[in-house]
Amino acid sequence: MSTLRAFHRVLSDHHGSGSGSDNESITQERASHDSLVEGFRNVWQSLPLATFMLGSRGEVLAANARAESLFDYEDGEMIGKPVSLLVPEFDDPRSPLWCNGFPSASPDRPSEATRRVVARRKQGTEFPAEIVVRRSSFQEDTSTLAFVEDRSDHYELVRNQQDLAHLTRVSTMGELAGSLAHELNQPLTAILSNVQAAQRFMAADPIDVAEVRDILNDIVQDDYRASEVLRRIRATVKKVDMESAPLDLATVIRDAVLLLHTDAIVRETRVALEICDDVPAVCADKVQLQQVALNLLLNAFDAMSQVVPKDRVVSVELALQSEDMARIAVRDCGHGLTVGKLDAIFKPFYTSKPHGLGLGLSISRSIVELHGGRIWAENNLDRGATFYVTLPIGSDTGNQRSRC
Amino acid sequence: MLEPETLVFVVDDDDSVRRALARLIRSAGHSVEVFASAREFLAEVDVDARPACLVLDVQLPDLDGLQLQRQLGATLPIIFLTGHGDISMTVHAMKAGATDFLTKPVRDIDLLRAIESALESANQRYANRCERDTLRQRFNRLTPREREVMALIVTGRLNKQVAGELGTAEKTIKAHRARVMTKMEVTSLAQLVHIVDRADIFSAGGTRPPA
Repeated sequence: MSTLRAFHRVLSDHHGSGSGSDNESITQERASHDSLVEGFRNVWQSLPLATFMLGSRGEVLAANARAESLFDYEDGEMIGKPVSLLVPEFDDPRSPLWCNGFPSASPDRPSEATRRVVARRKQGTEFPAEIVVRRSSFQEDTSTLAFVEDRSDHYELVRNQQDLAHLTRVSTMGELAGSLAHELNQPLTAILSNVQAAQRFMAADPIDVAEVRDILNDIVQDDYRASEVLRRIRATVKKVDMESAPLDLATVIRDAVLLLHTDAIVRETRVALEICDDVPAVCADKVQLQQVALNLLLNAFDAMSQVVPKDRVVSVELALQSEDMARIAVRDCGHGLTVGKLDAIFKPFYTSKPHGLGLGLSISRSIVELHGGRIWAENNLDRGATFYVTLPIGSDTGNQRSRC
Repeated sequence: MLEPETLVFVVDDDDSVRRALARLIRSAGHSVEVFASAREFLAEVDVDARPACLVLDVQLPDLDGLQLQRQLGATLPIIFLTGHGDISMTVHAMKAGATDFLTKPVRDIDLLRAIESALESANQRYANRCERDTLRQRFNRLTPREREVMALIVTGRLNKQVAGELGTAEKTIKAHRARVMTKMEVTSLAQLVHIVDRADIFSAGGTRPPA
């Protein structure tokens, strides 16, 4: 019998095997062997990580106490069960965890990669987990150890952060509701007037076909325009898990500026764009970055409410900070920030506005940092302040594990 | 008098809305001119050239509809269009003389009816203005002395009293009075009083009648 098999026999047999022997030296040897085994079993049982030993068909040969409690199984109950019962991904041929002919079929697969998986308790409830599968050869045998860590807390945290971000997006949209209603009302106005004009033209003799054709084209365009407004609203308020994809920052900025189009008119504020089109894509979550852009723009609008209308200009600049960093700068012409507060403004619940929650900038900061970037504010030399956001270019967001 | 052709101006910053409104107004047989901003309108339009009304969006960049209304004064009837008119905005506009305050999207009958009545009042104003201009032209032919004399006789003073006030002979005043009547193209004092009142001559830079 192989050494590892012996280990597993030891691990799964809680009471040891008490075959009687009357030979004293054998008994002593046996005793010291037993105490070693006992010690090893204690170590195994007290490992703070759910640990499994898996057989060649992916069956559980041994599971420690933490594993049993994490998955809600009785003492020894897991032995012999397929590991895919605990982590279904072991059954998925597309997964590197796939265990058809397990584990000999995949000697070339990385043996220590951490994977995020869904784990399943005995009663069927699922929880997010991370698993490390380690294949090891010992003497003539190969065995597989799997370590499972419960990541519910981490995901809870990420989800809370996402909920909060979502909440502030919804509240931003609430503030913009009037302006957005106007954005929708414009195409509706044009459509109604066009249709009623067409009805009149159709009643005339002869019918001005060219005019009616133009009208129909305009109606189609206005319909698209209305649904585009709805798309932008929906994209902002939708509650989705964060997902990273290559993203053109210029589009993000332009979308945010379009969402604020009417709000800017009402507040008599002009937005000047200085977009450098050579900035490569960043890998980021579109909704979240748009939230940052909206936030910075709205803050800039607010900062200038006491300034005479002709001076209310926000300039948004997109440029390369270095060859691997993109930089967005949002510059206002307001009264600037108190020097001691340049950092405090990013703290949660810090607000200078009568109706603000004080979460905008703190959420913006957590979003930017989650993407491996940085956000800070500086006072301008002449007047007002500038908020800078840098984001790494390309696919490396620096914090892959935080993505889900 | 020949009815001059009326015109409807539309100022709206939204290209599509502007086009649609222009079509609708044209479909009812009116001539339309459109502008994308209040400044463009101010730069290009002579509001006195012919009877016209203005269909004006409240929310415009730069100079908004209410500001444009203030700049135009009472020169032409204004129909306001707004996406979301609150009460104070409406009251403000109406107090400043807006003909109508309509909410977008606007029904054709509402808009066209408002335009009809605005143009009617524009025609009236235009006719009044033409008349006033004619009367002013006549008034401009008077010499300063004749203007002084006219200012006094329209208050009902007799030639003798006027002569006393101006320190001259009664028969001189009589001659002035006859020339005033000829130049102003009237045959009676009553007619003269009437047109002075209509053309608002003395409040528009003429010699003020003594109190």
